[in-house]
Amino acid sequence: MLQQIKQWIARRRTGISGNIAPENTPKPKTPGDQLLSQCRLIVLDLETTGLHPGKDEVIAIGAVAISGGAIDLSDQFDLVLRRPELDITQTVLIHGIGPEALTQGHETEDALLFLLEWMNGDPVLAYHSAFDQKFLEKTLKAELGYTQNHTWMDVADVLPAFFPDAKTGGKGLDHWADYFGLEVSARHHAASDALATAELTLIALNKAHKEGLKTLRELQDKLRYHRRLRNIHHS
Amino acid sequence: MAAANQDTTRPQNTRAIMVFLQSHAPFSNMDDDHLAHFAEHATLRFYADGDVVLSAEDGVVNRFYVVKQGRIRGERHNEKVDKTETTFEISQGECFPLAAIIGERPTRTIHRAAGDTFCLSIEQDAFITLISESESFRDFCLRGVSSLLDQVNQRIQTGAMASMGSSISLSTPLERYALRNPIVCNPDLPVRKAVARMHENSVGSIVITDDGRHPIGIFTLRDLRTMIAEETCSLDEPVGQIMTKNPCCLPVHADAFDAAMLMAEHHFAHLCVVDEHKRLIGMVSERDLFSLQRVDLVNLARTIGTATHLRTLVSLRTDVSRLVDAMLAHGADSGQVVKIITTLNDVTVRRVLELNIKKNDPGIAFTWLTFGSEGRQEQTLLTDQDNGILFQTPEGMTEDQVREKLLPFARAVNDELAQCGFTLCKGNIMASNPKLCLSDHEWDDWFIRFIDASTPQNLVYSSIFLDMRAVYGPTDSLNELLDKVLARIQKNALFQKMLAGNALQRKPPLTMFRNFRYVTDGKKNSLDLKRQGLAPFVEAVRVFALANGVKNANTLERMDELVGKGIFDDKDANAWKDAYSLIQAIRMRSHQEMLERGEELTNFIDPNDLNPLDRRILRESFRQAQRLQQKLELAYQL
Repeated sequence: MLQQIKQWIARRRTGISGNIAPENTPKPKTPGDQLLSQCRLIVLDLETTGLHPGKDEVIAIGAVAISGGAIDLSDQFDLVLRRPELDITQTVLIHGIGPEALTQGHETEDALLFLLEWMNGDPVLAYHSAFDQKFLEKTLKAELGYTQNHTWMDVADVLPAFFPDAKTGGKGLDHWADYFGLEVSARHHAASDALATAELTLIALNKAHKEGLKTLRELQDKLRYHRRLRNIHHS
Repeated sequence: MAAANQDTTRPQNTRAIMVFLQSHAPFSNMDDDHLAHFAEHATLRFYADGDVVLSAEDGVVNRFYVVKQGRIRGERHNEKVDKTETTFEISQGECFPLAAIIGERPTRTIHRAAGDTFCLSIEQDAFITLISESESFRDFCLRGVSSLLDQVNQRIQTGAMASMGSSISLSTPLERYALRNPIVCNPDLPVRKAVARMHENSVGSIVITDDGRHPIGIFTLRDLRTMIAEETCSLDEPVGQIMTKNPCCLPVHADAFDAAMLMAEHHFAHLCVVDEHKRLIGMVSERDLFSLQRVDLVNLARTIGTATHLRTLVSLRTDVSRLVDAMLAHGADSGQVVKIITTLNDVTVRRVLELNIKKNDPGIAFTWLTFGSEGRQEQTLLTDQDNGILFQTPEGMTEDQVREKLLPFARAVNDELAQCGFTLCKGNIMASNPKLCLSDHEWDDWFIRFIDASTPQNLVYSSIFLDMRAVYGPTDSLNELLDKVLARIQKNALFQKMLAGNALQRKPPLTMFRNFRYVTDGKKNSLDLKRQGLAPFVEAVRVFALANGVKNANTLERMDELVGKGIFDDKDANAWKDAYSLIQAIRMRSHQEMLERGEELTNFIDPNDLNPLDRRILRESFRQAQRLQQKLELAYQL
């Protein structure tokens, strides 16, 4: 990963463009007729110093890509950001990232530009995506002045939409992971959680395929419908 | 430092996959760099219960899979009963499909998820990189070479079978043949009535059984003809008087090959098939076995065995070659074909001896010995004479006096065998050589010197004289001799070690980078399949066999016996047997092609003339020879 980023930065700095501007990053794609069996989806998980986007910061970003219905492990993102000025003692226990690991991190700006380039504007999935979306948007805006809207989908919504009868005993990532018997290598590690989330997404996409769902738009419609149904149910 | 660095520079998910792989064979023995290569090139896919992961429709296999979670079930459709059968189950940490990806062909098995399943997989490129860079991964995959060779053999056979419209091969058990319900009678029945019963049922033979339905004799139309022509017996006498006693019987689980060999050896056209209590349950005739295949092995053996002139024997040699061709095409494996050639050669040698005895009887009983590939029953069409004579000195004669009588006779036999296509041995290892026409005591002394004074020349001869068999004459004195020789070798660790050292002289023709190493002299880009390919197997196996008291001289059977004695692991032995048989098959096919082109037979081939699959398998077979040699090195600390 480090090597990859160093090469990318070197390319950028000495390259023809010379200018690493946020506006030159790939444009976000909107969900349309892209086939689920072919398109690329980003599955992302963030580690943060806390739960409040207002005052807490992103420590680490882990992401994998689903392409053609499979998780391609040569296409992943796993990075600890440089946050030496932060007091992270509060969250160090839950994430296992100590101050040393953080100082080994990267210049935030470079890392975020690389992330945008890597994401390639593809739709982003996350577990409880609202949380990740808020943190990432805040960070992108603060560091790069980047404000473009990406398509986000919540895997916490996707799963009950396709497995309405699953008795998971809860709504967390752990509940679903346990329900499908997944082995999560290092829980609360951004990359590891991203992989678990992506594995759950594969299970859902397999079901979607069997239900005849073909495109990204159909998937989004299904999620919208399911959310509405749930709201009616709750109100 | 480097290791720690590596660990933090690898993404968490890559490390996690490496950790997962490390807890399963063969990955547990692989270097971190190779595991990382796997993890970094892997994709992860999900299959719901019942989903097809891989099937023939996917075409040539280009991915190698490891089950990360769940199980994979292998299914094959059995056309006969129109039913799908589960052939295997693959669980967490196991790999598939080995044979198909190495063979670069589609799988024949439907791989289906049993329960929700995740599989890691890598593309062929990454797989090849791992095979070539990681020795433990390579060894693991090549263990599968045996199943791979099965597939190749199957392909060759199905090719031949398709044109024959039959799925019956020489390996088909007799119980799968439509066995004739034999016509039977008891021995008291007059011949006239027995013949009438045969006539009523339009059959050519009748089996004579006792009260317990055990076959005790057989009577055929041929016997009737002889009986009438030679007036040996009247039609009113009981059939028990004239029947051929103790008919040849085979158990029902024996295969067509066994039956064919038995018929060829004894020139029978019919065999009784019996159950485990030796009760008659059916008959199988030569025609049953070969009606579909027109492989006239039995007839050919009979013609050779009854030929009355040398020139008939000479002309029959072309039939042998034609037969080998047909056999190869009909899916006989190379082990079967070399045995058939050996059997036919034995019949020829016996007949030449019989004709010479008739013409010019030396008047002294002798055992005709055969050495080397003939001794191992591994002859192909390209064969030298390697023979000798063992005799017991009659009372009142000296050994030299016996030799005076036997040597001219042996000379004539050697010459006539040469006319039949058995090339005269350049090293004069022939019965007409006074040094190889010896009494039992002389042979014993000869072997004592051979073993105790193991000169380099002796060791070269080990491949000839330590693979010995009797083709003609009494076998008791040879058995006694062999027992003594084996006991002496088993006691002589130094001789064993020297034999082992000698066996390692011939290295399989592979370079360090697993390319073919071509012979330095002779033609460009050529491999000597006999000396470079087969010899490493034959010689290494011989050392193990002699050191462990295995009397058999046949390389494949020696390996079986070594498995039985716990010296070889049976998986290893199977891989080695397959590799050896495959090299032999390629050699024989090339001989047939040379014959077709009217060229002189050689053991050289240019691997570039082979198709890519054969080339690849040849290379893997040589790898197996290397493994066998490594075992020998280890056993004798060489």
